[in-house]
Amino acid sequence: MISATNLGKRVLTAEGALDILAGVNLEIKTGESVAIIGVSGSGKSTLLGLLAGLDLPTDGEVWLSGERLTALDEDGRARVRAGAVGFVFQSFQLLPGLTAIENVMLPLELAGAPDSEGAARALLERVGLAERLTHYPRALSGGEQQRVAIARAFALRPAILFADEPTGNLDSATGARVIDLLFELNTERRTTLVLVTHDDELASRCARRIYLHGGRIVNGAG
Amino acid sequence: MRLIRNLKLALRLLARDWRAGELKLFVAALVIAVGAVTAVGFFNDRMLRGMAYQSAEMLGADLALVSPQPVPPEWLDEALKQGLTSSEALEFASVVVKGERLQLSSVRAVGAHYPPRGVLRTAAALYAPDAVADGIPAPGTAWVEARVLHALAAAVGDRIEIGSAELAVARVLTYEPGRGGNFFALAPRVLIHRADVARTEVIQPGSRVTYGYAFAGADEAVARYQRWLKTRLGQNHQLVGAREGNASVARAIERVDRFVGLTSLLAVILAGVAIAMGARRYSHRHYDMSAMLRCLGASQRDIVQLYLPQLLALALGASLVGVALGWAAQETIHYLMRDFFPLKLPAPGAAPALFGVATGLITLAGFALAPILRLKAVPPLRVLRREAAPLPASSLAVYGSAAAAVMLLMWRYTASWTLTLGVLAGALAAAAALAAAAFGLLAVSKRLHRRVGTAWRFGFNNLWRRAHASVGQILAFGLTLMAMAVIALVRTDLLSTWQRQLPADTPNHFAFNILAADVPAVRRFFEANRIEAQALYPMVRGRLTTIAGVPVTQTVTKEERSDEALQRELNLSWAAHVPPDNTLVRGGWWTDGGGARVSVEEKLAKKFGIELDAELGFSIGGEEVKARVASIRKVQWDSFHPNFYMIFPPGMLEAYPATYLTSFYLSPEQKSLLTALVRAFPAVTVLETDQVLAQARTILGQVTFAVEFVLLFVLAAGFVVLYAALAATLDDRFHEGALLRTLGASRRQLRAGHLAEFATLGLLAGLLAAIGTELVAYTLYTRAFDLEYTVKWPVWLIAPLAGAALIGLAGYFGTRRVVRLSPMAVLREL
Ligand SMILES: Nc1ncnc2c1ncn2[C@@H]1O[C@H](COP(=O)(O)OP(=O)(O)O)[C@@H](O)[C@H]1O
Ligand SMILES: [Mg+2]
Repeated sequence: MISATNLGKRVLTAEGALDILAGVNLEIKTGESVAIIGVSGSGKSTLLGLLAGLDLPTDGEVWLSGERLTALDEDGRARVRAGAVGFVFQSFQLLPGLTAIENVMLPLELAGAPDSEGAARALLERVGLAERLTHYPRALSGGEQQRVAIARAFALRPAILFADEPTGNLDSATGARVIDLLFELNTERRTTLVLVTHDDELASRCARRIYLHGGRIVNGAG
Repeated sequence: MRLIRNLKLALRLLARDWRAGELKLFVAALVIAVGAVTAVGFFNDRMLRGMAYQSAEMLGADLALVSPQPVPPEWLDEALKQGLTSSEALEFASVVVKGERLQLSSVRAVGAHYPPRGVLRTAAALYAPDAVADGIPAPGTAWVEARVLHALAAAVGDRIEIGSAELAVARVLTYEPGRGGNFFALAPRVLIHRADVARTEVIQPGSRVTYGYAFAGADEAVARYQRWLKTRLGQNHQLVGAREGNASVARAIERVDRFVGLTSLLAVILAGVAIAMGARRYSHRHYDMSAMLRCLGASQRDIVQLYLPQLLALALGASLVGVALGWAAQETIHYLMRDFFPLKLPAPGAAPALFGVATGLITLAGFALAPILRLKAVPPLRVLRREAAPLPASSLAVYGSAAAAVMLLMWRYTASWTLTLGVLAGALAAAAALAAAAFGLLAVSKRLHRRVGTAWRFGFNNLWRRAHASVGQILAFGLTLMAMAVIALVRTDLLSTWQRQLPADTPNHFAFNILAADVPAVRRFFEANRIEAQALYPMVRGRLTTIAGVPVTQTVTKEERSDEALQRELNLSWAAHVPPDNTLVRGGWWTDGGGARVSVEEKLAKKFGIELDAELGFSIGGEEVKARVASIRKVQWDSFHPNFYMIFPPGMLEAYPATYLTSFYLSPEQKSLLTALVRAFPAVTVLETDQVLAQARTILGQVTFAVEFVLLFVLAAGFVVLYAALAATLDDRFHEGALLRTLGASRRQLRAGHLAEFATLGLLAGLLAAIGTELVAYTLYTRAFDLEYTVKWPVWLIAPLAGAALIGLAGYFGTRRVVRLSPMAVLREL
């Protein structure tokens, strides 16, 4: 499903070239749930972005759903992502100008799904927000916002879900409920899950864990 | 498939944005720009259309011939032979009298078949409903315009005097061909039967009468007759086809169209600035949306297909509303100026609406496209790393497209690229100079900083922290206020200054058509009644035909050929001495009194390239007269003394029929002497210049009013710019306000700071306007009108106060949300 070989990302800073990711090899199979763990600044988000084709590596290759992302241009990678990949972010990334249901409808509409409104409503009901359909993000609590984001991520029944510290901005009780929901939907829909976190307990709910330190995998690759 | 899906989504996204209120400024700016342009467009189209549509009817003929003498009878026989209907009319100016009251009128004496095209409309009494008239006034009766009845305090049925004839007013004349297009007709019409002309005794040899012949018939016959006639026409004849009839009026309207149109562009440019600011903000706000869409698999082309239709729909919608607004504004102008138009103007055509929509599209494309197209370059990585953003649109793309849009729109009014570039360069230079002045004012205000209270300091701080935006706004409002002040000055101050500067006993009446035989009697009349009069000057009518041997028709351009001085006959005079308020600029005056020479007025000489010593050819009473230019004279026209373009030495023109003219001053108590004068000398025509001036002032008032109406749009556009600038800084202001409040500032202090900020902005704009007004007015008064200039101190008071009040309130209102939310809510959201 996803594989990376000898992946590296080097950026130019004021002090010179900096490797924020180097020599990363990994393989994630269909239906697997994998946690990428590391302290803040270890390169987790960078890795996630490369695996999802949001950015290009300076070294190595990434394959996603049988396509070599590193050989495609920006629009080509977008085409691979379309409908196949869902995202959940630490900062929720809901669009402030759209209501809850409109945020969920957006990917459906973009893909031209027939009854985007019905589907979005069903999803929001599934995540327990039936009463909040027409609320704007600013009127929702952090936990509620992240549940809208999860509904949006699952809207197109993606084969892969990338989650970048989904509980990072939530208190632990709320975070736990959000994570429960994420795993429920994941099992229901047999999604491949790539979860980035600095939290060992959360990581332990995944089938496999990859530890990142200073931009390198310390163990668990495969 | 994909395109249609994108289109649908685009419209849905637009609806969501609309509801979120993000687009209001955009739309307001566009509506104002399009409204300003279409209001002007509709109105001018209406006037031009009215003329083209009715020109044949207005002329009252398919072909009209005007001549200072009766034409040979065989000309009319030929028309009859060609199967044309013809009708003859005589036109002259004369004072109409009833009891002690009098009114200078334009009398037209008509015969059968008048008018051959179009109709006359009359009413049975003042304000009674009018209808198409049957025939012409019966001998012994007159049909008069309402103005005559008002001036004479007369009613239908009363008897009036024209010269020595007494006539009964039979009907009120409400419409007559040939009058409709004459918007600024000064003398009202009196229509009588030809048979009554002799009885009036107004027409004497040399008096100013026009003979009009109107022909109508099948197109072919008219064209044939026109060709036949053309070979026989003399220098004194004017032949007008229905098509060419209103060329000079059309040109005048085109000039007004150009001027007012360029004024309306000011609104477009300001709106464009607001749109550009809005577009940047819109683009920034949609980075996240674009990144999310890309993240979800949208290609760059999808992004373009999602945003362009939104822009297009917005432009179309706003333009349509703008067109409606423009139409309403045009109706308002038409209503407010209704006294101006003797007949109802036809409804405007669709062309200005199309141009309005085009303006909307061009403005939006020019000012908004560049930043919004950047949305396709938003990297999807932005969802992970907030700071990932596209490179801003290149300034070449931003300013280039804006300049291109403005030039394209300007070209519509100038129809010339050189003129467009010239106007643009001039405007840029003026804007740069004023921007420098605005910077200066801002710097001065900064120095006052330490002397004011906390709230003001807070407000001042805001102004120069965003110095660029502040200068832009001071400039925008300064220019608008300045334009308004200048127009207001022209309307209220210019004319009265001019009149004040005239000596108190400046002549306020002209008397012409004085018969040579009556000259001693008229002189005695003035003396006996202690009327201060100028000398009586002889006047012979003739036409300038050649300059240095070259026919005038070849030396001048088409536009100049319709010049009054060439079209009509010139008033020629003779004098032994240089008349008072004439000064020689070149050449010398004749002292011996002999020789075929002429003295030419300076401006006329310049216009037609007449040099000293050149030989001029004149046609006087059908004879050719040649004279060498002996001198060029400067004439002070506004002295209200009789003055002439051409003055000959004594002995050259005495053989031709001459009348005399003079000007004189009547105090209000002496006004009743006019009636006595007209009774004693029926052929004399009196022009009351004080009344003409009053009318000129009304006309000027109306025209400047129309321009001020357009300036209201410009002012509105200025406010949109203000709000756009406010919107761009609102997030900052929220943050700042919240922080200040956590530090203990009260709501009242914050609000006072806002008020201080915007009132200062308005005050500075007003000061800039006052400086600009003073400069423009100085140039206008001293250069264009030769008036003594005094500082226009009320502008220095009113402009800054009005600016401070208007902009202060608008800004205060626009920032009210800043303190409404709790600091907690603000800080959490950021
Ligand atoms: N474009 C970039 N330029 C400079 N430094 C970067 C860039 N992208 C990431 N970094 C740095 O690389 C390190 C890893 O970042 P990130 O992948 O976001 O870490 P994590 O998600 O594990 O906290 C950080 O120190 C970050 O500052
Ligand atoms: Mg991270």
